Amino acid sequence: MDFEVTYSEEQQRFRAEVRAWLEANVPAGITRRPTTDAESAANYRMRRELGRKLGAKGWLYPMAPKEYGGGGLDVDHAIVLEEEADRLDLSLPPYYNSGGTLGAPTILVWGTEEQRKTLLPPIYHGDVRVWQLLSEPEAGSDLAGVRMRAIRDGDHYVLNGQKVFIGSDNGTDWMWTLAVTDPNGERHKNLSWFMVDARLPGITVQPMDLLGAGESSARSGQKNTIFFEDVRVPASCLVGGENNGWRVASTHLELEHGGGGHIGRNRFWHSLLDYCRTTQRDGRPLVEDPDVRDTLADIYIRSQVGRLFGLRNFWLTYARQPRSYEGPQLSLYMKQAGLWMTQQILQVVGPAALTTDPVWGSEEGFLDAQQRNGIVLMHPGGTADIQKVSMARRIGIGRTTREAAGKVL
Amino acid sequence: MDLSYNEHQRMLAQSARTFMQRRMPKAAVVALQKSESGYEPQIWSTIAQLGWLGLLIPTPYGGGGATLTDAAALYEEFGRGPLPGPFFSSGVLSALTVMEAGDDAQRRRILPEIASGRQIFSVAITEPHRSWGPQGVAMEPRRVGDRYVLDGVKLFVSDAVAASHLIVAVRTGPGADGVSLLIVDKQAKGVSARNLPGLLSWQAEVRFERVEVPADALLGGRENSGWAALTRAMERAIAVLCAFQVGSCQAVFEMSVEYSNTRIQFGVPIGRFQRVQDHIVRLVNHLDAARWTTYEALWKLDAGRPAADSVHLAKAVTAEAHMEACNAAHEVHAGIGSVHEYGLTPHTQLSRTLFNYLGDPKWHKRRMAGVLQW
Repeated sequence: MDFEVTYSEEQQRFRAEVRAWLEANVPAGITRRPTTDAESAANYRMRRELGRKLGAKGWLYPMAPKEYGGGGLDVDHAIVLEEEADRLDLSLPPYYNSGGTLGAPTILVWGTEEQRKTLLPPIYHGDVRVWQLLSEPEAGSDLAGVRMRAIRDGDHYVLNGQKVFIGSDNGTDWMWTLAVTDPNGERHKNLSWFMVDARLPGITVQPMDLLGAGESSARSGQKNTIFFEDVRVPASCLVGGENNGWRVASTHLELEHGGGGHIGRNRFWHSLLDYCRTTQRDGRPLVEDPDVRDTLADIYIRSQVGRLFGLRNFWLTYARQPRSYEGPQLSLYMKQAGLWMTQQILQVVGPAALTTDPVWGSEEGFLDAQQRNGIVLMHPGGTADIQKVSMARRIGIGRTTREAAGKVL
Repeated sequence: MDLSYNEHQRMLAQSARTFMQRRMPKAAVVALQKSESGYEPQIWSTIAQLGWLGLLIPTPYGGGGATLTDAAALYEEFGRGPLPGPFFSSGVLSALTVMEAGDDAQRRRILPEIASGRQIFSVAITEPHRSWGPQGVAMEPRRVGDRYVLDGVKLFVSDAVAASHLIVAVRTGPGADGVSLLIVDKQAKGVSARNLPGLLSWQAEVRFERVEVPADALLGGRENSGWAALTRAMERAIAVLCAFQVGSCQAVFEMSVEYSNTRIQFGVPIGRFQRVQDHIVRLVNHLDAARWTTYEALWKLDAGRPAADSVHLAKAVTAEAHMEACNAAHEVHAGIGSVHEYGLTPHTQLSRTLFNYLGDPKWHKRRMAGVLQW
C-alpha cells in the first residue's frame, strides 16, 4: 500500500512550472471573501479571467481530452495541478461551475462526436460558466419526477417550467438541465438532458434568500430560481438521446455523489485549531482546556476519516477499480460530520461561532459559515437519506441484484 | 498511490481465508468460546507450521520476516472468524516486544520458540486501578542476589491462561523510564493465572507470590529501558490488532446483509425496510472508517514514517467502530443475534474486550492530540 503519490522528477519539474505560473498569474486577494455585491462581481471577474488563462494552458480541466480542448494530462500531472491550486486555497475551476465539472464528463460519456466538439471546448477553455439545473419545486429527492417540459417543435425543443436551488451569484453562460421530453412516457423513460444557452429569450433568474454561506458569495449562499417560459432550444442541444435522460443522469449523479473522490488540505481544520490556540478563555488558550482538546480530537478524527474516504474514492476512480457504495458513502459521511460538528464547535467556541463580526467573530467568518453550511449542505447532491438509499441499493440490502455505480470514465 | 494489498498479501489472505473456512468455521469458533485457553492445540500447531505464528519475526530468528501490512492481511482474515487463541498475544505483541527490548541472545533464544509455537507468550502490563500509561506499572520486584523476586497482581492480561511465559512490566525506577520487562516462566513457583468470568474474553488476573526470576530474564539486560521498547512494540502491534478488528467488522457486515436478505417478516425480506437498511449503512460506515485509518497507519509504519498519531487515531476509531458495528448487527438480527450458536456473539464479546485493551479510545485520542502538538 502507498497512501501518497510518489512524485517523479518530471512531476517535480511540472510542480515548479505550475507554481511559478500561478505566482505570476493569480491576482492578490482573489481568495478574500467578498462582503458587498460589487466586491463579489469584481471577485468573480477576477476568477473567470484566471479560469480563461488556465484554460488556455489546458490546466482548467487537466485530465480532459486534448482533442476537445482539455489538458490531456495524466493523473500524475493533474494531482500536481490540484495540489498547487489547493495550496493557494483555489480549486479547479476557480469558481462555481457545477454544470461544467459534472456536465462535461457526462457529455464525454453520452454526447455525440459533434456535441463533444461544440460543447466541450468552451467549457474546457473557461470561456463559459455552466450551472446544473436539477431540482424543481415538486421534484427534489425524487429527481425522476421533474416536470419541466421540453416539447419538440421542428428543429427545436420548447422548454417550460421552473428550477430551484440553482447556481450562485453573478449569473451563468450555459445551463445543463433535465426535462420531460415524453409527457406520456413511462417514468425513467421520459427524460432528456439539454445544454441551454442562458441568454435565450424566456429565461429568468431570480435570487433566493437562503440560510447558507456560499463560496465567494456576498449574499449568504446564493441560489436562484430559474423560470423557463417558451424557451426555444435547438434540437442539437439534447445530449445522450431523447428519453434516455435517466441513464445519462446516473453518470452525472455518480460524480455529484462523491464518486470521483478528492484530495486536498483541510483548511477548515487548520483555521479551527488556530482559532483555539489564539483565543483565550478564563486566562488560557482554548486549546489547553481538556474538554476542548477531547472535542477537537473527535472533530479531527471525523475530518481524517472524511479525507480517507475521499482519497479512497479518488484512487478507485483513477486506478479504475470497481466501485459500489463508496460515492454516496463519502457524501453521507461529510453531510453527517458537518452537521455534527456545528454543535461541537458551538460547545467549544460559544456564540462567537455565530457572528461574522470582524472583532468578536472568527477570521473572515469561517465559523459562522460552518454553522450555516453544516445545516444547508445536508441536501445538495441528494439528501443524507437519499445517500443512504443509494448505499443500500448498491450493497444489495433487501434485494437480489445489486445496483451498479454510475459510469464515470 | 496504491491503496490495495499487494499480490503476495492477497495470496496470503486467500490462503488464510481457505484455512479458516476449512478448519475454523463458525461452529468451531463458537465451540471454543467456553474453553479456558481459547485455542485448540492442533490448530495452533498447524498455524505455526504454516509460518503464520512467526510471520513478523525476522528470518535470522526463525520467522517469516514479513511486514506489518503482510501480518495485517493475515489477521484481517483471522478476525473474520474471529479466530480465538493467543495468536496475537504471542506471535505479534510478544514477538515485537522481544524484538524491541531483547538483546541478541534473548532474541535467538525466545523468538524461534514463539515462531514454532513451542512456547506461548503474553505481555502483562496493567495492574488493578491503573491505566495503560507507564504510571500504570507499579509492581516493584525485590533484587535478591542475582535474582528478582516478584510479588503482586497483573490484571486484564490477555491469554495469560494459555501462555507458557509472560513478559511482565515491572517498576525499577521513577517515571516513564523506570520500567523494566522480565520474562517469567508461568510454571515458576508462585505464578497463578485465572480467567476473569463474565463477558470479557480470555483476560486474566495473574498473581505473583514470591516468584523468583533469574537476572538474565531481564529483557535487554539493562533496567529502566522497558517502557520505550514496549511503546515501540505496542505501536506496531496495535496496527495489526486493528486489522484483526477490521476483519471482524467485515464478517459482521456480511452476516447482517445476508440476514437482512433472508429473514422474512411481514411477507418481505427485512432488508426492504429502510430502518433495517439504516443499521447496515451505519455498520459499513464504521467498518470503512476502521479499515482506512488502519491501512494508513500500517502504510506509515512499514514505510518507516512517523506513525504515532495515525496509530493512536486508528486504534481509537477501530475500537469504537468494532463496538458500533456489532451494535448495528444486533439491531438487524434482533433475537437470533444473541443466540451463541448463530455466531455473532463471539464478535460482540471481542469488540467489548478489545475496547480497552492496549488503551481505550479516549486514552488514544489524548495521546494523538499530544503527538500532534496541539
